[in-house]
Amino acid sequence: MFRLVCLLCLLLGAPAWAAEIDPQGSPMWQFHRQRLLGTDPVRFDARVVVRAPPFAEDARQVPIEVDARGLGRPVRRMLAWAELNPIPHIFTLQLQSPRLQPFLSVRIRLEQATLIRAAVQTEDGVWRVGSAHVEAAGGGCTAPSVVRAQPGWEERLGQVLGGRYPRGEVDRLRLSVAHPMDNGLVGGIPEFYLERAELHDAGGERLGRLELFPAVSENPTLGFELRGGGRTGLRLRDNNGNEFAAEL
Amino acid sequence: MKRHVPLWALVLLLGLLGGGAAQAAYDYRLQPRQIAADTWLLEGSTENFAEGNGGNIVNCAFIVTEAGVLVIDSGPSRRYGEALRAAIGEVTEQPVARLLLTHHHPDHVLGNQAFTDVPIAALAGTTELLREQGEAMTENMYRLVGDWMRGTELVLPTETLQPGVFEFGGHRLRLLALSGHTGADLAILDERTGVLFAGDLLFHQRALTTPNSPGLDVWLADLQTLEALPWKLLVPGHGPLAADAAPFVQMRDYLGWLDALLRGAAVRGEDMNEVIRAPIPARFAGISLTRYELIRSVSHLYPRYEAQALRRIDQ
Repeated sequence: MFRLVCLLCLLLGAPAWAAEIDPQGSPMWQFHRQRLLGTDPVRFDARVVVRAPPFAEDARQVPIEVDARGLGRPVRRMLAWAELNPIPHIFTLQLQSPRLQPFLSVRIRLEQATLIRAAVQTEDGVWRVGSAHVEAAGGGCTAPSVVRAQPGWEERLGQVLGGRYPRGEVDRLRLSVAHPMDNGLVGGIPEFYLERAELHDAGGERLGRLELFPAVSENPTLGFELRGGGRTGLRLRDNNGNEFAAEL
Repeated sequence: MKRHVPLWALVLLLGLLGGGAAQAAYDYRLQPRQIAADTWLLEGSTENFAEGNGGNIVNCAFIVTEAGVLVIDSGPSRRYGEALRAAIGEVTEQPVARLLLTHHHPDHVLGNQAFTDVPIAALAGTTELLREQGEAMTENMYRLVGDWMRGTELVLPTETLQPGVFEFGGHRLRLLALSGHTGADLAILDERTGVLFAGDLLFHQRALTTPNSPGLDVWLADLQTLEALPWKLLVPGHGPLAADAAPFVQMRDYLGWLDALLRGAAVRGEDMNEVIRAPIPARFAGISLTRYELIRSVSHLYPRYEAQALRRIDQ
């Protein structure tokens, strides 16, 4: 059957991606694939692991982890999206140094039960895709802000909590940034969110560049893995032009 | 001439039969069990909310006194509340006089509709939490147990309880206002029978839940307060009765393990997805739903442990 579909596609001159069979059978696959991955080839690959709880206990803070270390080959970019979210795109991470591991943990908002997808582009240009399903009562994208309800949150804007944890050959870097990450869907509050985080080493060498979208939860909590020690710098920027810096 | 039964009559008949079957399918079959003088228990399962159990995963109780029946918690749905009321009527001719709510969680309060003719009493904090969270919790119950919830609506308490001694129909009830499970947790010691209705401060053979807990240390302190009372029989909010301290031992062990797990994970820089996959000690194998509740507790509690383990690094 699969061969028949491929043959038909070839005969009809359809682009190669039309033959991809999504193992999850999701009706949203093609839509997001075209929008986020373009025309580059795609393979579904079990070595791209998306870890998430089976259900969202708090739909405003759902922890996900994208881990492509099992591919064992250089990775250019990683991105993740939540298929049925009003704001599906979660992040795009460009890996600018072989020291930065293809791994990211982050907490997100979910508006309803959905598949979480991660696509990892290896140096051959192929996107390798993994996914996980999260059950949810939902409402995480439209729930009132917890941060904005806390007095004095403006003063704490951009404060960064962090820690560095050696784990064998790599260090785990964890960050938590005080920011409401307003997504424009709540109470007439316009979008106000961290849109970029850049990691660099003490010598100024770029390690990675992370684009964030307001599917990411309030007070974003991020985890990276980095080979080699030394200080690591972090530059953050939100869509109102505020810039923050941290070091760990 | 042969008369045919009109089609509409057949449809109506089938509809009635079908409706009857559906009614029977939503019968909680509550069977009160006498556990002490004047004291009756309706013991739920130690499962999670599911369409198969209608949310009857909770222990409700009642005390029959000369001043009428005092009910403790109303159950997960309107249907449960009505069934509870009917079950009380099978046991005694005394009228229901009052309902006491141990805390605001949906499995303990959504049967309130069956008790609107009597005072519904709770701690002030419980009423406040119900006002804030009751509607959302009720909606979530419809999602979890489906049609069992039909017709269920939130009914707020009508009376505020103060901690202290509450004399009722010859029973001296000691009311304790504690907070480890939800921030407003009522425990009731019947000094006449020695029965301690611990609400959800005590889970037994069922993993404890933490969605509104102010902290595991607070909960541990509450357990110490409860254990020191002159009780003879423990009625946990979930799980089997005990005449010995087994539920206290289990709770302390489990809370201590959970606290150490979260603390250690934060110190090692783990993210939530690692913590929810942590091994659960074999000694908790007899406790229902440990993995499920660990996933929930990590969501509720881990951010506080993380915040303590991380330090300011902005410049």
